[in-house]
Amino acid sequence: MSFIDILALLATGAGYTILVTLMCSATGMAVGLAIAMFHRLGSRQVSACLAVFTYVFRGIPVLVLLFIVFFGLPGMGIGVPPLVSMMLSLGLIAGAYLGEVFRGALDSVDGNEVLAAQAMGMSRMQVLLYIELPQMLRFSVPGMVNEFTTVLKYSPFAYTVGIPEVMKQAMALSAATLRGVEIYLAVGLVYFAIYKVLVTFVWALEKRYRVPGLTEH
Amino acid sequence: MNDWIAFFQQVMNFGPQIMAGLGNTLLLAAIITVTGLVGGIVVFYLSLSHNRLCRKLTEGYISFFIGTPLIALLFLMYYGLPQWGVRLSPLLVAVIGFTMNVAAYNARYLMTAYRGLDQDELEAARAQGFSSLQVFRLITLPQVLRLSIPALSNQVILNLKDSSVAFLIQYTEFFAQVQDFAVRNFQFFKAYLMAGLVYLALVSVIVIASRWLERRLILPGVRPL
Amino acid sequence: MVLLQTRNLGMEYDGKPVLRGIDLDLAEGELKVVMGPSGCGKSTLLRCLNRLVTPTSGQIIFRDEDVTRPDTDVRALRQRIGFVFQNFALYRHLSVLDNVTLGLRKLRGMPLGEAVERAKHELRRMDMVEHHHKYPAQLSGGQKQRVAIARALAMDPAVLFFDEPTSALDPLMSREIINVINQLRRDNVSMLCVTHDLFLARSVGGRVLFLDQGVIHAEGDAEQLFGNHSDPRIRAFFSQEAGNQ
Repeated sequence: MSFIDILALLATGAGYTILVTLMCSATGMAVGLAIAMFHRLGSRQVSACLAVFTYVFRGIPVLVLLFIVFFGLPGMGIGVPPLVSMMLSLGLIAGAYLGEVFRGALDSVDGNEVLAAQAMGMSRMQVLLYIELPQMLRFSVPGMVNEFTTVLKYSPFAYTVGIPEVMKQAMALSAATLRGVEIYLAVGLVYFAIYKVLVTFVWALEKRYRVPGLTEH
Repeated sequence: MNDWIAFFQQVMNFGPQIMAGLGNTLLLAAIITVTGLVGGIVVFYLSLSHNRLCRKLTEGYISFFIGTPLIALLFLMYYGLPQWGVRLSPLLVAVIGFTMNVAAYNARYLMTAYRGLDQDELEAARAQGFSSLQVFRLITLPQVLRLSIPALSNQVILNLKDSSVAFLIQYTEFFAQVQDFAVRNFQFFKAYLMAGLVYLALVSVIVIASRWLERRLILPGVRPL
Repeated sequence: MVLLQTRNLGMEYDGKPVLRGIDLDLAEGELKVVMGPSGCGKSTLLRCLNRLVTPTSGQIIFRDEDVTRPDTDVRALRQRIGFVFQNFALYRHLSVLDNVTLGLRKLRGMPLGEAVERAKHELRRMDMVEHHHKYPAQLSGGQKQRVAIARALAMDPAVLFFDEPTSALDPLMSREIINVINQLRRDNVSMLCVTHDLFLARSVGGRVLFLDQGVIHAEGDAEQLFGNHSDPRIRAFFSQEAGNQ
């Protein structure tokens, strides 16, 4: 069995790795955007609740939360499927971090533009939608790339809940062939390749929507 | 309520193992915090090299370790190396793996801080006759480290949380013991929830300590990143 | 016909009066200039009139409607008032054209094609139509301000408010904006301009109000006020500003 064969076998798990990464990143985006928006629009009590959420989900290890959801909740009578467990652990934690990224980016939006939009007669929601969000998303690209990378790197935990992604394939293969060094080296390369593709894609997207003079320093 | 009392009774009975696990978690987190910082400084120093190849290699190192999951490296050493007759203890595997990974991240924080530094100051130091290693040690590093305190202390939190991954290579740290406890007593939800709260409490200690450190070390007029 | 009128308008901030007993009226097609030292309450006055700031006493009558009543539709009021800011406040993520069409499309619900037509018309009027694809960061200060004016005019406002429109501009660019205001005057656009730029006030004509410490102290033609006025505060302000020119 050559190194190429190993790579090819692992690549069959790459689909699940990408699926887990995308689903958890999407959960994170949704949660992060909701946090940033409610923080902007909501009352002081809402902000306090969001701060607690953020603190808790940034303070708990992904693996621990994953075990609470997947192995713990069934004991409470709530069965959670593997992929949903990943979204409720890795996804929510990513959301807490992305919420911080978005809040920081919102602070970079020029207050004068917000005032101008209000003076034009826009509602608070319209200002958020047409002025603050489009700028915030552009300012957040580096932070988002970091967080998506983190999600990809934690996605191997999915093997602990039985999702047949790259790491799971590697473990099965390594048990059968006892060639762990080559196999886990190949695992590293597969993840690095996915990482490169992901980062390239996000920056290409950023370039497509780049506005001159907004984000260059 | 009664089942919580029963749960705590069970925890008390398992206390010694859990405490030993907690000790191992703190040991691992403390070691990799130190080795990761030293490693990060070394990688950062190499990234400033005048040698193009050296810079390219450090860039590649940082990029690779930021782009690949730590557990691939841990599994390679723990499950792969024995095929060549190399058997390392779980702690050693974890220390090596984490150090390489954390060093890459720390180096990147330091590089970001370096870019914000006043280049004239470094120029002035060189003009004064300091060697490049002296400039690095006396001028660059103290400033860059101060500027990076928030990022570096955040990394300490990540170190503590990520040390739970070591349980996947049979290192008997806190979460491994909680796992053992949960299986034996069939108390999954409560046990994992307790584990989460313990991590949260430890993280809070680091947060408080880093705020204190930041206040102590901050230079007037210089804002950390 | 009176377009905008205030009666005994007052505004307090943290218990300190910022505006007191302001009686101001602006007729349709008229231009009025409010001058005064910085911190005199000029900008707050403008922001009270379009209800970005809530006045604490008195009334604002906009086209026979009391817009200080609590049930006033503030957003509808603001849509009828074009506001031009000192720092331009163009939306940095939108092209010049999109800056002008945004309000038409999202606030007026105008279809894209029509909004673009209308926006290009206003940009042409401001001599900016050939720059319509550019982004704010690619424009000079004077160009930015002309886009900001086109953006305000596109909404077909009943009145244009200028808040220190030239203070972020060098003299040459200020001249651009003064020309624009004069052109709008000829088109009978109603305008209220707050400034401490003497040159601007003189060049656009119109009645000048002198505001200091939240109170209107004098009103008259520019030359009347700039001349040797009896009020020492006014004399001091104008001689100092003239020195700054």
